[in-house]
Amino acid sequence: MLELYNLHARVVPEDGPQREILKGLSLSVPAGEVHAIMGPNGSGKSTLSYVLTGRDGYQVTEGSVLYEGEDLLALAPEVRAAKGLFLSFQYPLEIAGVPVMTFVRAAMNAQRKQRGEPEVSAPDFLKLSRIAAQQLRIDPDMLKRPLNVGFSGGEKKRLEIYQMLMLQPRFMILDETDSGLDIDALKVVADGVNALRGEGRSMLVITHYQRLLDYIKPDRVHILSAGRIVKSGGPELAHELEKSGYDTVMGAP
Amino acid sequence: MIAAGALPNRRVEGWRWSDLSAALADRDVPMIPGDRHVLARIAIGARRMAGIVVNAGETRTEIERVGDDGVDTRALEIDVRDGASMSLVTIQQDGDVALAHRKVRLGQGAIFRQFIIADGARYARIETEIDVAGEGAKIELNGVYLVAKGRHADLTSQVTLNAEHAEVRQLVRGVARKGGRGVFQGRFKVERAAQKTDAKMEHNALLLEDGAEVFAKPELEIYADDVQCAHGNTAGQLDEAAIFYLRQRGLPEIEARAMITRAFLIEALPGWLDESVRTDVETHIDAWLGTAS
Repeated sequence: MLELYNLHARVVPEDGPQREILKGLSLSVPAGEVHAIMGPNGSGKSTLSYVLTGRDGYQVTEGSVLYEGEDLLALAPEVRAAKGLFLSFQYPLEIAGVPVMTFVRAAMNAQRKQRGEPEVSAPDFLKLSRIAAQQLRIDPDMLKRPLNVGFSGGEKKRLEIYQMLMLQPRFMILDETDSGLDIDALKVVADGVNALRGEGRSMLVITHYQRLLDYIKPDRVHILSAGRIVKSGGPELAHELEKSGYDTVMGAP
Repeated sequence: MIAAGALPNRRVEGWRWSDLSAALADRDVPMIPGDRHVLARIAIGARRMAGIVVNAGETRTEIERVGDDGVDTRALEIDVRDGASMSLVTIQQDGDVALAHRKVRLGQGAIFRQFIIADGARYARIETEIDVAGEGAKIELNGVYLVAKGRHADLTSQVTLNAEHAEVRQLVRGVARKGGRGVFQGRFKVERAAQKTDAKMEHNALLLEDGAEVFAKPELEIYADDVQCAHGNTAGQLDEAAIFYLRQRGLPEIEARAMITRAFLIEALPGWLDESVRTDVETHIDAWLGTAS
């Protein structure tokens, strides 16, 4: 479903020097699979999520990304979103003055419009929203407040997954979704994520810790270090990492 | 008759970013004699003057549209007597030169609320002068300006407080595109007699494109020692990280920008606005942002 081949990318800050972050990253995530990416700080995990979703300030210098056979890098961020790509942000943005439900409905309709589908009706939207909020144990009043403004770290993460349930993406990138969550919230969020698992849907779960992977069980685990995948394996690789640390597992001297 | 050259130009304090002399250059400008404000004495083009008295205990609302003609000058004198309440909505959209001045006097416990929405013109200046004469007056000054290429909108105000326990709230938000100029000048003058004044002034602007201009001068002049006064002033650009967040959810870039800009402006709409006026204002903002649907 998603094929990364020899991806090189650098961050292009408005001021300051350019730095190469991804240095020949290759990865294949078949449809229906959940892959985890683990790696130490600064290994390129967040850069990978931004390159895949098309954020400005990142430049791909070499390599390719195919999404369902299509050149993903040629598409605008909103086009990628309409094709089913969703990023759960590590630090979700606060959008003053825009209530959560107003925003999600606008996003849903913008995606539908791009896909040539009719707009969602008000009753259908409210029904979907009610189900998603119940699943994630979100207070319905929260959905009337401006998006993420004054929300706690855990509430913001829950809201990311709420948006995910509403928009029903086909390829999800979870960027450190576990950070800021206590263990109960983590279970709720993981249940929400797992509800979307299935045929035709894939996920890339980016995390520092093995803990999240107890609840969202990956098919494959990859270790990212210095901009490349240095080791891949089954779920047991995450446990090994947790036990022995990155240096041992990656075979550092 | 005087020549435009005698009008205040950019070297005059308070007119630095809004050169009236240059705007009316090559015109004969008849002036009404007297010591009133210059904007209230200019007598060219469509001209309307009005005196409004709101008697004790009365409530009044006025909606004023400025800028219908080529040169449009307005002067209002408003006397809000003890315990009276006046709400004024000013909508300035078109015209070549749009000038408006309002002088407001507030009695004891009087309320004055104002909302201005200005698109600017080749030159537009809406100036508000308020004198608080009675204790316990309440003032709310809200404004929105949206200046496109070739437009100039100036919202200037001065509140002079001469009595105790006044509450003043001012919030002006503006956006400017390339070649547009927004000006905000706000001044609170708190005289010695105005103890226990509680006054807040806030102006925030977004420069939507390179080449947009916003000039702001918030001023607090305080001679009383037991008051609370604060002001805030910002001018910046849309947060690109927020734009990306919205695009990642599927909103096209132009819609993402409009959504954030709209929310920024809508926050300056006061709660007391009549629902139909509010709807008109929101529709106008949407149309200006290019997202009318």
